[in-house]
Amino acid sequence: MSPSAVAQEKKHAPVNMGQHVFGQAPDRFTSVLGSCIGVAFYHPRTHTGAFVHIVLPESLGRSGPEGKFADTAIPCLIRLFQQQGIPIREIVAKIAGGASMFNSKGPIQIGEANEAAVREKLAEAKIPILGEHLQGAKGRRVEFDCSTGILRVEIAGQKPVEL
Amino acid sequence: MNTSTSCSTANMDRMHHLLASATHEASEAMKRWTNGQVSLTLDAVKETPLECVSEEADLGDELLTMVVLTLDGESGGTLILAFDEENGRDLAAALLNRERSSDPEWSAIEKSALNETGNILGCAYLNALTRFIGVELVPSPPYFIQDFGASVLEQALMEQAMCSETALICQTRFQRDGRELSWDVFFVPSPGMRERLDQAVAREV
Repeated sequence: MSPSAVAQEKKHAPVNMGQHVFGQAPDRFTSVLGSCIGVAFYHPRTHTGAFVHIVLPESLGRSGPEGKFADTAIPCLIRLFQQQGIPIREIVAKIAGGASMFNSKGPIQIGEANEAAVREKLAEAKIPILGEHLQGAKGRRVEFDCSTGILRVEIAGQKPVEL
Repeated sequence: MNTSTSCSTANMDRMHHLLASATHEASEAMKRWTNGQVSLTLDAVKETPLECVSEEADLGDELLTMVVLTLDGESGGTLILAFDEENGRDLAAALLNRERSSDPEWSAIEKSALNETGNILGCAYLNALTRFIGVELVPSPPYFIQDFGASVLEQALMEQAMCSETALICQTRFQRDGRELSWDVFFVPSPGMRERLDQAVAREV
């Protein structure tokens, strides 16, 4: 994994395309999402959290940071919690993103494909989705707070929503 | 990683030369549209890791006003003209020869003025690229978006992200009467377009 695959600064870290980050209260992670999906994992008892900015649904043998693809990103976050001795059955997830921008109506709808892949991987791992804010035609600015487990989602021109 | 999208330094220099010519044509069209007030020049062409693109493009997580033109087909791509609120309003007011609007909602005529600007700039740029690569490029009608700049650029990068870990980024500087403007234009070629551009660069060697 390349060093840039992990957002280095915690506390208030921006998580860019294909990056993931792991932290504890009071860390906060921010990201701007279009058709990508942001997945937040949270362990309420220890206020431990992780966030990944997923770009594409499947790696299909392609190289790239683990956070770039849904099928490698979800196992990557699970492994980070396991390494801390945190039981996976106590983890909850919140997800946002998956927009379809530019009036895109083509055969490849990356946002929808990303959402489907993320749901499938979370279901396989039996990680419940406690909040979601998906699809639409607009981008999202999100902030995940490890102190509370709240994922704050902002769409241009709308009131922010807390998941 | 698709190595066809990686450029040597020498090829990147030639790519810069090619895209600078297209930018020059866009600049000439822009000067005609703005009575000689606004011009643009290409500062840099960079191969940037995907995760660094928003930082390299200095987009942050701010809301921007943008005009987007897309190119469908094998030689595809996206051209984005981006302004902050103040600069977008200033341009619309100058083009419409009226005071800057203080209404939080953009009027249809203001949007139309910005769309036309994007159309003129984009068509001049793409006409130049049509000549270089020998494939006719017909953009979509321009559309007006107010959104987070990074999310729009992210969407434009999707096709590149499918076959590469890097993206080609062109940094452009706008000036009005010699004063630098906070405008940006991003051209994001699809992998097919990138291949055509690489071939055009190779022919010039």
